[in-house]
Amino acid sequence: MKLKKFVSALLITAMTGALLVGCGSNNSTNTNTGTDSGTTTENKTTENTSKGNVSIRLLNGKIEIDAPLKAYAEAYKQKTGVEVVIESLGGGADIAATLKGYLAAGNMPDMFVIGGEGDYNVWKDYMEDLSNESWVSDTDVAYVSPEGKVVGFPYAVEGYGLTYNKDLLDKAGIDPATLTNINAYKAAFEKLDSMKDELGITAVVSMAAEAGQMWWSVANHNFGSYLATGVENGDSKYIDMLKKGEIDRDRMTQYAKFLKLLFDYSDKNTLISGTYDDQLALWAQGKTVFIHQGNWIDPSLPSYNVTFGMGIAPSAFMEQDTDGILADAPSWWAVYNGGKNIQACKDFLTSLATTEEGAKCLVQDCGMISSFKSTTVQPTAPLATDLMKWVQAGKTYPWHWAKMPDGFAMNNLGPVFESFAKGDVDIEGFVDLMANAIATLKQ
Amino acid sequence: MDVKVKKVLSLAAIILGIAGVILALIMDFSGSENPLRGAILVIGGLMVLAGFYFLPSKNHKKIINVLFLFPLLLAFTVTVIIPFIFGVFYSLTDWNGIKFENFVGLQNYITMFTSNDYMYSVVITFIFSAINIVLVNVIAFSLALLCTSKIKGKNYYRAAFFVPNLIGGIVLGYVWQFIFNKVLTVLIPGSVSMLTDPNLALLAIIIVSSWQYSGYIMMIYVTGLQGVPKDVLEASAVDGADRLTTLFRIKMPLIANTFTICIFLTLINSFKQFDLNFAITNGAPSRILNGVSILSTELLALNIYKTAISKNQYALGQTKAVVFFIVLAIISLTQVAISKKREVEM
Repeated sequence: MKLKKFVSALLITAMTGALLVGCGSNNSTNTNTGTDSGTTTENKTTENTSKGNVSIRLLNGKIEIDAPLKAYAEAYKQKTGVEVVIESLGGGADIAATLKGYLAAGNMPDMFVIGGEGDYNVWKDYMEDLSNESWVSDTDVAYVSPEGKVVGFPYAVEGYGLTYNKDLLDKAGIDPATLTNINAYKAAFEKLDSMKDELGITAVVSMAAEAGQMWWSVANHNFGSYLATGVENGDSKYIDMLKKGEIDRDRMTQYAKFLKLLFDYSDKNTLISGTYDDQLALWAQGKTVFIHQGNWIDPSLPSYNVTFGMGIAPSAFMEQDTDGILADAPSWWAVYNGGKNIQACKDFLTSLATTEEGAKCLVQDCGMISSFKSTTVQPTAPLATDLMKWVQAGKTYPWHWAKMPDGFAMNNLGPVFESFAKGDVDIEGFVDLMANAIATLKQ
Repeated sequence: MDVKVKKVLSLAAIILGIAGVILALIMDFSGSENPLRGAILVIGGLMVLAGFYFLPSKNHKKIINVLFLFPLLLAFTVTVIIPFIFGVFYSLTDWNGIKFENFVGLQNYITMFTSNDYMYSVVITFIFSAINIVLVNVIAFSLALLCTSKIKGKNYYRAAFFVPNLIGGIVLGYVWQFIFNKVLTVLIPGSVSMLTDPNLALLAIIIVSSWQYSGYIMMIYVTGLQGVPKDVLEASAVDGADRLTTLFRIKMPLIANTFTICIFLTLINSFKQFDLNFAITNGAPSRILNGVSILSTELLALNIYKTAISKNQYALGQTKAVVFFIVLAIISLTQVAISKKREVEM
């Protein structure tokens, strides 16, 4: 009997303890997570009175730049006393889901990443107006709401096209500057294909169009050139048509011809079943001349000991010359309007945009292109350097693909590109499939 | 202690406790940041429990039963019942993961049943499940027979067959994706990956799923087979039953309850297949159906996930999940009811 009593007493203690711990954690989220975003938004009266203990939190969606950002945050704390907590997540769509969880749990970061129009529509009531910040006039790629308010801080510019291996092109006697229309590409591909053994390549292009994991490369990035290549002053005609469920059939056919050219000269296995790593490895080891990716591959290049010169050529699918690559801000940082230290967030962003240290962090340490015109810090990575030239010359087209509805590229366009890559349909069939897929957007 | 005093004291504890809980909840909902509110909530809750525990009553035993069930009931309510009710509720709105603006009635249900991608997912999920259930159970039962026979090293086999189940589905998925894409294409020169053909890709998921899950189901069959009484087996042997007759007439009817549980587990597992599907194909390859190119191996769970997370249509995803639950509940309950009839009481 004694034992029984002892055991039951023990169990009760354990249960009570568990209950206390369980409920207790509810409280500690307010104090421990360090971020004064707090549970409730109405209650701003109990603001941190102890100055110098201000802490703000940034939810960064680009895991590659986590370390440099943290280093900058540390330096920033030394200088201003404001602690900036960097929280980095990787993996595309899941960031939005995580963020929704944070909002529901009252654990909203003071600054968070938004990836385009879909995110904007979800978060528009939660974003602080940044129109009066000093950096706004210094950039062309800030996220501007339909009402004309600046809500997103453009921390970088990224660009892509057909990234080439300069050494191999030189060997074949092709000047990348001439690659500005489909006929130039056709001639170049034929020449390179005939010199396969001399150049030591297995295929001309490294592309991946598998619908499960590589849809973004074709259905977002490559399709982006249908939407924007050759448009004047960021004209949004084709994306507006797409949203209404319409396509420009002639332009789509022309685009399909270019796509077929790329697919025909691609490494077949990588094209239909390859991953990003396969695609990159093929090009970085010098087995193909072109790769359809952008300057984000810079940080991966040292692991392949890449020594050849490189640059980005336009995804020029038309007969007439279109001398520009697709470059834009990939995502933006917004300030949460329910946070308690909005001014501190704004100051932090301003310091990143306007100070020498901030520019060094974004450009040199993170290996990105600055989106601010006054920045003088030069990038060091090879593709970033090349991209910078395009941006400075003003030869860029916007990323209209980012304005497509959420999940549309992944679920509706991705399979079409894969079907085309596998050879299930011809050019005419591809255009029909695209037309049918886009027609589902008709309201 | 006097019974009356005890009664008054415990009633007071209950009332005070309830008041404390309500006070704490009011504080929380009104946005107070008083650090004591958590403590008030917990102490209030404990006082209510203690009050009921010490309350002198004719139904003391019943109260104790409920009290001891309380932690479980609370956990179940908070993690299952309440989210489920919320889920059904959200499926009637235009919820976007943060808030909802309108009630849309059954609009989500109509959208769902008229969308081709969902109906396609339903069809292939049924195909996948049917094949997978049969395959897993046949393989698992055969392995179980092997592992209960007099073969040498059967303990080693048992462990070996069970190991795949210990590895997480995502990891397994990526490993097998590599095998299908890189190893098999090299072993069979000139071939393209299985994962580029819609039918073969579904088969690939079935192969991996069977491989992963058979070992686990095998263990349950092994337990069942070991539970068959020796005297019955001996009696049948004396009566001249050969091996096959013993298997079909004696062993299988006697472990019918094992079949019930194994088929139930594989049924649920097949319908809810997500991680392998996500890692091996993530919906690819494409298939052209009625002039539309669609993802051909998107099983229901993946379809729901993508609807909510990547298409950002949380209410529609929730609707699909509610229907998924109902369908799964009906199928599995039917299966259990049918299988139960076949069981033999010893």
